[in-house]
Amino acid sequence: MRKFRLYFEEQHRSPLAQLWREFARQHSALFGLALFSSFLLLSLVAPFITPHDPYLQADNLLLLPPSWSEQGLVQYPFGTDDLGRDLLSRLLKGTTFTFGLALVTVIGALLAGLALGALAGMSQGMKSSFFNHLLDLILTIPSLLLAIIIVAVLGPGLANTAWAVSLALLPQFVHGIRNAINEQLKKDYVTAYRLDGANNWQVLTRLIIPNIWEKIIVMSSMALSTAILDIAALGFLSLGAQAPIPEWGAMISDSLDLIYLAPASVAIPGLLIFAAVLSVNLVGDGLKTAMQRRRES
Amino acid sequence: MINFLLRRLFLLGTVLFGLSLLAFSLGYLFPGDPLQNFSGIRQLEPQLRAELTAAYRLDHSYLSQYLAFLNRLWHGDWGLSLASQQPLLSEIRQVLPATIELTSYALLVSFLFGVPLGILAAIKPEGYLGKIINTITVAGYSLPVFWWALLLIMVFSVGLGWFPSGGRLGVLYEIPTVSGFMLVDIFLAETPYQQVILLDALRHLALPTVVLATFPTTVMIRFVRDAMLEVWEQNYIKTAKAKGLSRLQVLYRHGLRNALLPVIRQIGLQFSALITLAMLTEVIFSWPGIGRWLLDSIYQRNFPAIQAGLMIISVLVITVNMLTEILHTFFNPLARKR
Repeated sequence: MRKFRLYFEEQHRSPLAQLWREFARQHSALFGLALFSSFLLLSLVAPFITPHDPYLQADNLLLLPPSWSEQGLVQYPFGTDDLGRDLLSRLLKGTTFTFGLALVTVIGALLAGLALGALAGMSQGMKSSFFNHLLDLILTIPSLLLAIIIVAVLGPGLANTAWAVSLALLPQFVHGIRNAINEQLKKDYVTAYRLDGANNWQVLTRLIIPNIWEKIIVMSSMALSTAILDIAALGFLSLGAQAPIPEWGAMISDSLDLIYLAPASVAIPGLLIFAAVLSVNLVGDGLKTAMQRRRES
Repeated sequence: MINFLLRRLFLLGTVLFGLSLLAFSLGYLFPGDPLQNFSGIRQLEPQLRAELTAAYRLDHSYLSQYLAFLNRLWHGDWGLSLASQQPLLSEIRQVLPATIELTSYALLVSFLFGVPLGILAAIKPEGYLGKIINTITVAGYSLPVFWWALLLIMVFSVGLGWFPSGGRLGVLYEIPTVSGFMLVDIFLAETPYQQVILLDALRHLALPTVVLATFPTTVMIRFVRDAMLEVWEQNYIKTAKAKGLSRLQVLYRHGLRNALLPVIRQIGLQFSALITLAMLTEVIFSWPGIGRWLLDSIYQRNFPAIQAGLMIISVLVITVNMLTEILHTFFNPLARKR
């Protein structure tokens, strides 16, 4: 880098670099990003770093209090549950189920939503209006209610929860992506590209998707926070993850009857759900603000 | 306006049609015998089975089965609950008011707190107050509702003992059910202890309302804040300021009226999220509403009840959505053009 500039030069950063600059200016967004990355990392490596087997029942160490109380053991930082399983290992393992699974469901719903939304956005007339009405119907049904109905049809279980949640998220994606595409289609540069002889597919892949992907990411962050909350809520209602699986919501409902004896076993999983959703929301908010500021500058 | 109303009515018709189609197909999608799923009768004697099959047209095509289904819905024959063998419609009539009561109080709270706080946050968005309010809203937005409810129960009912941890009314009191809305029923009941009972009912209401109101309040704060900030940039605000109006006058005469209009529509959009959260809240606080009833039906594999619950809740959400949108259009001429 030169130390001084002889001539006045205008610097043009790429849109992505501008976005990152605006994003990095917000402390809360950076904090959220750090939290989000650590959850992401944990959900990938959790099975390898658990200090104890999360399913191993140590029957001489039932309901061990956390290590900060006097009766606690330092080998079990958060204590054990009523079957003698190490709480920390279970929580670590649970990251994969609550956070990781939510991420997978959102990616699944996003891909399906992208396909359907593109189909709906690029088609016009009767087909698109029928699609609209169908979407309006499904959007009126609350996502958790939809997930509950789907679970009632499929039966409880972790895999069915993933299906239910991603199906329940799908309408929002289709709706949002269709609107974003419609908005772009009206712009002049699309018309110009069409006059150059581009077909629908080229317009979609070369113009529209690169222009709406930031919106899609903000949409996905909102969907991800809904997905985490829904998976945890289904687990809490014991419609989702079943007994031995250490999903955070299911862990809360498992230790609900011990809430007087071991309040930490209810408080800590909840705190983790809260932190996970918070990190996603902070990143989403930061991105939204960064996009807005970039447009203004 | 009439054109708009007709279009909305048509949309309502389509949506209700689709919903009834979904509910009908659930009878086949749910595990078990479709006849049992539709009628909800547990013991089907061969003679009854033949009669019902004829009445429900199960031996005919799907189309005529669907028409028979619609006919039954219209005449209020929604089938029986598999668990209690009572007519579903009367069961729903018992539990629905409790949910509506709880959700409407939560909505009211979200209004009373959300709108002023949103305006406060918009006055100086980068100031301390704005930042504090912002932080609280992001946190409130991310709270898992069941955990929040448990925390509040731990602190306020178990720890401090200020509020009861569940139910609608203490077991000491008996209030005859007239409308199903607890506070209305207390006013209608003629007992010498009216005030004591009212206080007890309010204490039972406090925690569930706070829990349920957390999410809509935070959404409302953010919505009002964003709307205010957007309106504050408009030219008519600059004109009003240039005319020499004071800050408060501009805020009241030009800012609020324009910023708060979309809030009406926000109620409709909030309602669907609110119903979902109400289901969780009702389970935790053992509030005898439709959410707890529906979840119990799922645990009991009570398929007719799930079907009816889905229909009732969706119709409720759709109606509130439509009504608020029509109201919004009625008050806001700009929205009519689209």
